[in-house]
Amino acid sequence: MPSRRRTLLKVIILGDSGVGKTSLMNQYVNKKFSNQYKATIGADFLTKEVQFEDRLFTLQIWDTAGQERFQSLGVAFYRGADCCVLVYDVNSVKSFDNLNNWREEFLIQANPSDPENFPFVVIGNKIDIDGGNSRVVSEKKARAWCAAKGNIPYFETSAKEGINVEEAFQTIAKDALKSGEEEELYLPDTIDVGNSSQPRSTGCEC
Amino acid sequence: MLDSEIHDLSDDADYAASLQQGSASVMLCNDSTKESSSASELDGAEIVYSKENVAIHPTQFAISGRLKLIKQGSSLFMTWIPYKGHNADTGLSDKDRNLYTIRAVPFTEIRSIRRHTPALGWQYIIVVLSTGLAYPPLYFYSGGVKEFLATIKQHVLLVRSAEDANVFLVNDFQSTLQRTLSSLELPRAVPLARGPSNMSVDESTLNENEERNDSGVNNGSVSVPQFHRRPRHKVHDPARDLSIQVLEKFSLVTKFARETTSQLFRENQTNGFSTNERRTQIQTNLDPPKSSNVAGKISDENSAVPDSLEFDNLSLVWGKPRQPPLDSKEWITFLDSEGRVTDSEAMRKRIFYGGLDHELRNEVWGLLLGYYTYDSTYAEREFLKSVKKSEYENIKNQWQSISPAQAKRFTKFRERKGLIEKDVVRTDRSITFYEGDDNPNVNVLRDILLTYSFYNFDLGYCQGMSDLLSPILFVMDDESEAFWCFVALMERLGPNFNRDQNGMHSQLFALSKLVELLDSPLHNYFKQRDCLNYFFCFRWILIQFKREFEYEKTMLLWEVLWTHYPSEHLHLYVCVAVLKRYRSKIMGEEMDFDSLLKFINELSGHIDLDATLRDAEALSICAGEEGAARIPPGTPPSLPVDEGSFYIQQDDEVL
Repeated sequence: MPSRRRTLLKVIILGDSGVGKTSLMNQYVNKKFSNQYKATIGADFLTKEVQFEDRLFTLQIWDTAGQERFQSLGVAFYRGADCCVLVYDVNSVKSFDNLNNWREEFLIQANPSDPENFPFVVIGNKIDIDGGNSRVVSEKKARAWCAAKGNIPYFETSAKEGINVEEAFQTIAKDALKSGEEEELYLPDTIDVGNSSQPRSTGCEC
Repeated sequence: MLDSEIHDLSDDADYAASLQQGSASVMLCNDSTKESSSASELDGAEIVYSKENVAIHPTQFAISGRLKLIKQGSSLFMTWIPYKGHNADTGLSDKDRNLYTIRAVPFTEIRSIRRHTPALGWQYIIVVLSTGLAYPPLYFYSGGVKEFLATIKQHVLLVRSAEDANVFLVNDFQSTLQRTLSSLELPRAVPLARGPSNMSVDESTLNENEERNDSGVNNGSVSVPQFHRRPRHKVHDPARDLSIQVLEKFSLVTKFARETTSQLFRENQTNGFSTNERRTQIQTNLDPPKSSNVAGKISDENSAVPDSLEFDNLSLVWGKPRQPPLDSKEWITFLDSEGRVTDSEAMRKRIFYGGLDHELRNEVWGLLLGYYTYDSTYAEREFLKSVKKSEYENIKNQWQSISPAQAKRFTKFRERKGLIEKDVVRTDRSITFYEGDDNPNVNVLRDILLTYSFYNFDLGYCQGMSDLLSPILFVMDDESEAFWCFVALMERLGPNFNRDQNGMHSQLFALSKLVELLDSPLHNYFKQRDCLNYFFCFRWILIQFKREFEYEKTMLLWEVLWTHYPSEHLHLYVCVAVLKRYRSKIMGEEMDFDSLLKFINELSGHIDLDATLRDAEALSICAGEEGAARIPPGTPPSLPVDEGSFYIQQDDEVL
């Protein structure tokens, strides 16, 4: 049975344009920050090996374009996700208000088997800016929203300074792993098929 | 000569690797400083076949040469080197001959060889590469096709196609993957055990004394047998797919040959009647390297066919070579005394083949983009410029006059402005023009985008627009002019940014249809892997490859695309060309959607633009009207058709 377990964990990072999705991903995977990141067009991902209890997993972290207009691409990129990270900028109310849209849009497009219990993690980024003086969304407000949405784990980070990024992604990886394993228990018969031949019935083939 | 050619196969690890990867940049003559003979002997390169008087007929003139098969280690290479100094009466220079030279193509890059044995005239073969492109037909004036094939068969696996006895599929068994696949699947589909004696090549039909010019061109366009596609078998049979693909390609190749030939004829005929200017232009088209200094030095010497690097990339593709950029001296030949473009088609064609000198871009981009009309005079353009400047200021004033109090109650404005500000500060900041803190050009970028979002309020601002505007502002170096050029560009590319994404979907759809036409195995592979949405090409198309090339190359690509020559949708053929270039890697490594997306994203900065453009040109000519028919009307950059509602159905098919 253990050999059957999935070793790829897919994580999707969502959030408004410019909240720091690409930076968070690069800080976690490459331990680097750059002011020169361009706006993400389409999607890209980075992978990182993670270890849990003597087992190795590949964390595949997807970075997507932040503008709402590109949301229709989500269908292609969100499928098979094990965890979704919602990012906002603590210095932007709008980006926080939009978390709900991102969450709902994700559930519609990824269409997970158990949407009620699908793992999300929320990250409030850019806490370093202006020493926190330009902050407009309080931690309390953010935590309240997370609690109301089914106790979503919450982290405050600075991708620039590398603050709390590792911690956030450890939780992300753990939740993704749990989600993947629950899915195995939940749909024991379909896992083998999915792993071996990837048949997909999109209704437009054959 | 012998030495130098054996030396071509010198044991260079990088070179070997580039061959294995199927790289089109076959650079064989770049290390003449090495002690050649000893090195090549160690390599064990051996000529296993050599045939004199093998010719191509690229125009009405033939070019004769020597065909060779060279064995090095376990690899077999084919070369065809035109004779030096012969054929002086044909009017073709050594440069032309060099252009067609086949420099040691490894058999790993050859998909198939088709033998033609017409009842009259010479036998010839067509060599089709795994990219789907083909060399011009090679005519065996002194016979020897049978021997040629038999020799190949001794060194690589050559199997006769089950579909057509004149098609021979090549499989070099270089990789274990191929070996596995072939041992599993090929033997039951194709007769492996056939010996050379079974190939009934009738060499007696060859007439070596026949006048060359008679049958050359004719042969090029005849004897393509009608191919009737059989119903697809349920069992997936790669050999069958391959041969179908090969046959389809032959019809394309022949069509291409015909078009190229007739085009050359046409141009030669016009030449006799034309003005000096026109002749200069045609000459440049036919004989591109003449205007470059490097080539100019050797143009009159019969003896020395240069092994210069500029030719190395040209040998693989059977299409026109790229030219040096159009410079100001040549540019004025396209204008009348008052500044009107006299022959816009010739001008666009010239720009297509070489792009523009950078200092010309400022003058020419406005014309290419349609901001200025070709029949406008210098004076009219100056006048329009001033009129448009005040028009721009008016539109700009619309948002500039929004007071802070008003902005507070104008969410949409604030959001747009915020989005634009976030993007301009991360657009091309490594380019000198935009680099550094408080760079005023970054503010101009912002102002133009914000003004555009008022000019076209419905479309607004969308990510990717800053990428499209950045080179335009850099080139125009004038706020209003850059704005209006951007407006002209967005007339065509605006649908890329539509909320329903229909412009993108129609292009991705057309791309899938073109790949289906031009590379059906690759299409089938994508289909099998659930990749037909082509989202992995999204970035390429959305911003016209802006993120895939360095700045200068992007500008060159854009002006080439804007000529709309030879196709309005050349960018889609560029996509096909890149995919085809990496098809064996994509399929060999069995990439799924994720790894394909990653692979494509990481190609950024590694695409050979000139080679890709030549491939794209050849592909667009190959696809011809059939290709055009697969692109839905109104697909960007075509101007939109009225409220094209037909997209919706097609979306369903792809997505």
